[in-house]
Amino acid sequence: MAATAERALGRATSRSGERVLGVSAFIALGVSAVLSLVVAPPDAVQGEVQRLMYVHVPAAWLAYLSFFVVFVSSIAYLRTRRTRWDRLAEASAEIGVLFTALAIALGMLWGKPVWGTWWTWDPRLTTTAVLLLIYIGYLSIRRISDNPARRARWAAVVGIVGFIDVPIVHLSVVWWRSIHQGSTVFRLGGPDIEGTMLLALLVGVAAFTVTYAYLLTLRLRVGRLEERAIREALAPTVETPA
Amino acid sequence: MEPNMGYVIAGYLVTVAALGGYTLRLFMRARAAKRRAEVIAGRRG
Repeated sequence: MAATAERALGRATSRSGERVLGVSAFIALGVSAVLSLVVAPPDAVQGEVQRLMYVHVPAAWLAYLSFFVVFVSSIAYLRTRRTRWDRLAEASAEIGVLFTALAIALGMLWGKPVWGTWWTWDPRLTTTAVLLLIYIGYLSIRRISDNPARRARWAAVVGIVGFIDVPIVHLSVVWWRSIHQGSTVFRLGGPDIEGTMLLALLVGVAAFTVTYAYLLTLRLRVGRLEERAIREALAPTVETPA
Repeated sequence: MEPNMGYVIAGYLVTVAALGGYTLRLFMRARAAKRRAEVIAGRRG
């Protein structure tokens, strides 16, 4: 299972795989923008501002996915001690932080006209802010130790424990009284959303997923190149005898 | 234009800036690391 995952990762992270993903992400984001801004109708209550849902929700879902990849890779690292799992966890955490910050920023832009405030200490917003801080902390921990094995071990533990906040964020609107709306798509009785709007949302999620895959392959290549530069710098110089 | 349309435009611009900016930053990091490795390897002959 782990070997199959490693082979699939190897294929996706080749230069040609990276290019295919880059072009696919660009096209998918373009299609998503047209569906969200032109094809989907305005919301009956919120009007045009509801169009922010087509980027806010995918950003939040992709943050969950990124941190799930960190969680799985961290477990895989602790079991196998293979550095490629640690590299994957680091890359995914960095992208997850980007998506979480984006989801928060887009939520603030949506909250101001609808709730009348940029920010409120609502359970969903607060747990999401905590999520952002956990993974900023995860990335900071990776800079503390100079020992690569120790650094990877500490990071893996935080990557596993930190994931606990993801289900808390998701269920916060169910567990506590929240100003934030509950689930629209994954709910008992099926999605409570108009057909074209659902299509635009799902295409948005697909486009963000391809973008995540592209950014991940690019970030993994950056990691490999930076490690190569460090290896070159630390390699012993061979003196030629006079 | 609906008054709240400004928030939508700002949201999509923030998305483009975040995703585009991060991609650009990764390309710059890749190029810098590649050049650094080549310079060090070149100095070693």
